[in-house]
Amino acid sequence: MGEHNELIIEARKLSKVFLDFWNRPKVKAVNGIDLEIRQGEIFGLLGPNGSGKSTTIKMILGLLYPTSGELTVLGKSPRDVAAKAKIGFMPEESYLYKYLTAEEHLNFYANLYGLSGNTKTTIVETLINQVGLNAAKHRPIGEFSKGMARRVGLAQCLLNDPDLILLDEPTSGLDPIACREVKDLLLSLAKQGKTILVCSHHLADMQDICDRVAILLNGTICAQGSVKELLINPDTLRLSLQSPPRETLSAILNYIEQETGQRPNVDHAGRTLESVYIETVTRRTPNP
Amino acid sequence: MMIRTLAIAWLTLRGTIRSKLLLSLASLLVVGLVGLPLLISGDNTLAGQIQVILNYTMTFATAILSITTLGIACGGFSSEIQDRRLYMVITKPLHRYELWLGKWLGLMALNLALLVLTGLIMSAMANHSIRSASDSPAMKRHVSEQFLISHRSLAPLTPDWSQSAGETTQRLIQSGRAPKAMTFANIQQRVSDDLLMRHFTVPPGGSLELSFACPPHKRNSHELILNYKFDSTRPERTPVAARWAIGTDPAHLTYIGVTNYPGIPASLAIETDLLAATNLLTVTYQRLDAGSQATLLMADKTQTPELLVPSGGFGMNLIRGLFIILCRLVFLAALGLTVGCLFSTPVALFTACFIVVLLASSGYVESVATSGVFYIPHEGAAPVQTWLDRAILHLFQGFSMVTHPISRLDPVPLLAAGREISGLMALQALGWLVGLYSAVTALAGIALFNRRELG
Repeated sequence: MGEHNELIIEARKLSKVFLDFWNRPKVKAVNGIDLEIRQGEIFGLLGPNGSGKSTTIKMILGLLYPTSGELTVLGKSPRDVAAKAKIGFMPEESYLYKYLTAEEHLNFYANLYGLSGNTKTTIVETLINQVGLNAAKHRPIGEFSKGMARRVGLAQCLLNDPDLILLDEPTSGLDPIACREVKDLLLSLAKQGKTILVCSHHLADMQDICDRVAILLNGTICAQGSVKELLINPDTLRLSLQSPPRETLSAILNYIEQETGQRPNVDHAGRTLESVYIETVTRRTPNP
Repeated sequence: MMIRTLAIAWLTLRGTIRSKLLLSLASLLVVGLVGLPLLISGDNTLAGQIQVILNYTMTFATAILSITTLGIACGGFSSEIQDRRLYMVITKPLHRYELWLGKWLGLMALNLALLVLTGLIMSAMANHSIRSASDSPAMKRHVSEQFLISHRSLAPLTPDWSQSAGETTQRLIQSGRAPKAMTFANIQQRVSDDLLMRHFTVPPGGSLELSFACPPHKRNSHELILNYKFDSTRPERTPVAARWAIGTDPAHLTYIGVTNYPGIPASLAIETDLLAATNLLTVTYQRLDAGSQATLLMADKTQTPELLVPSGGFGMNLIRGLFIILCRLVFLAALGLTVGCLFSTPVALFTACFIVVLLASSGYVESVATSGVFYIPHEGAAPVQTWLDRAILHLFQGFSMVTHPISRLDPVPLLAAGREISGLMALQALGWLVGLYSAVTALAGIALFNRRELG
């Protein structure tokens, strides 16, 4: 987490009630949540389906209007156009125009950000390269795989060099390498002082990148804090060392048992499947 | 603001191009505009064929473009909300009104392109039909003069009988001969109509002199056209032999013999050099059937003989006509986008069609609004009006006030009859249809879209 303290998103007793046709309350999707997300943070919103994550993100984006409570984004109302100019958003699905090419898409969104001329061309070209779509930039989105469309979604989200980036399931549909690249990109963006709000079901990804998370259930925040705080079990300790000779290990274990009265568990340090996959694929893929 | 609005407009237009909608519509228009005159033969005359080209094809193009505009506009927002593409756009730094206006502009650009295509095809078809017809050069020239030149319609000079109509009305009321249920204004109108018809009555062997005050006109240019029609007091539809005497000086009258049937419209071409130096044209219809029993009536309360005076070329007239149609499409686009902000595409389409049908029935609404709502319990009794009748009447009158300007602004019959579509009419279309109706609809649409949540 960066060293900045500026509040980027602030929600106080934020609620959202969906009404039926007769204006009667139907569902209380978000129920009085308090949220503070500061500059440079990567904040994760976790929770099962229907817990209120998407509704919260939509309120932050100004797509839905809060029923009660206060919500400010970059110190302004979420519907303020000036605030939107500093926000990048990548939804869960890439809701793109199938008849446009990747480059046309980015040019179109760049126009909406008020970019023009050489600045626009440079930014669009850089982002197309950055997300690895240079070879496919003239193909219509309709011909893209889900992963490729996600890359366009990510590129459009970064067009305006946003201060706040909202990502809904950012790694969904991406292969593990692309997934790692996205996570690395997010980490580097956070280092640059960007604030990132991520909403995902991929807990491993969230654990990898998030500084803080909040777990939502039935529209309320059940747990909130830094990932380290939430993951640490203060009653249990883990020791790691290069595998010693069998006699040395036995002596260490005997000593610990003698001193603590507990026989410690011993196993080999494991690797994640992701790291094995990346190592294997990277080793066997010829360099371009 | 402009760059964002234009980006949305360009996206809308590009969507119609890439989805091949523009190509399909253009093909449909070409097939329809070229094919319709081949399918509909009219009255097998060259004039009839030109009328088919101008009337049916213009109506066809207007109908196709209206339906398409409404369809695209209704889905403009609702379909993008439904498939969530709008999420990506609305989260960008643009006001919702910019998005709304962009879509509107995009639709208008599409319509403009298709209207230009329509105009070019119509113009080419009409010119080609005249050039390739097997009729005599004189007939070709006459048809060309009639349809491919815009004409201003002049009514004959008539006495001002409002004072005598007022006096007659007063006398009728005082003598108790006027129907009690009718208002003074209604009776006066009927008396005026009666005086008008008396003025245009031609007894057997009699004559009727008509004078037209023409605008300054270039001599030996396009001819003047006198349109007339008469009804007979006799049921049999026998032809009437007569002649038109053109001019006022008995020594220098030009006679043109005619034989016409009652109820059938007729026209007479008059050379412009027969105009008096004062630009007054005097023509006299002289019946040559003194032994006939039938009295002819050359006018009714809605139509008198008219003189068509050339006022401009066909091209500018067509452009003004297409402009008025574009103004109508601007309104339809605003209507479609507005209801599309509220409902899903099918519901929006149904609602928009319902509103258009209501507006299209303005003729019926207007007749109810002017003639009143009441019932007559038995013959001779005074009409009875309940509170419900009065409420319906007020509703229809209010609706008529709203729709009246729209119903007046139809360029197709004028264009098909070779009449001038005036610049004033085009300006009225711009003012009423774009400046008022479309603007009010657009404001309502933008306000509704601003309030709409996109969850």
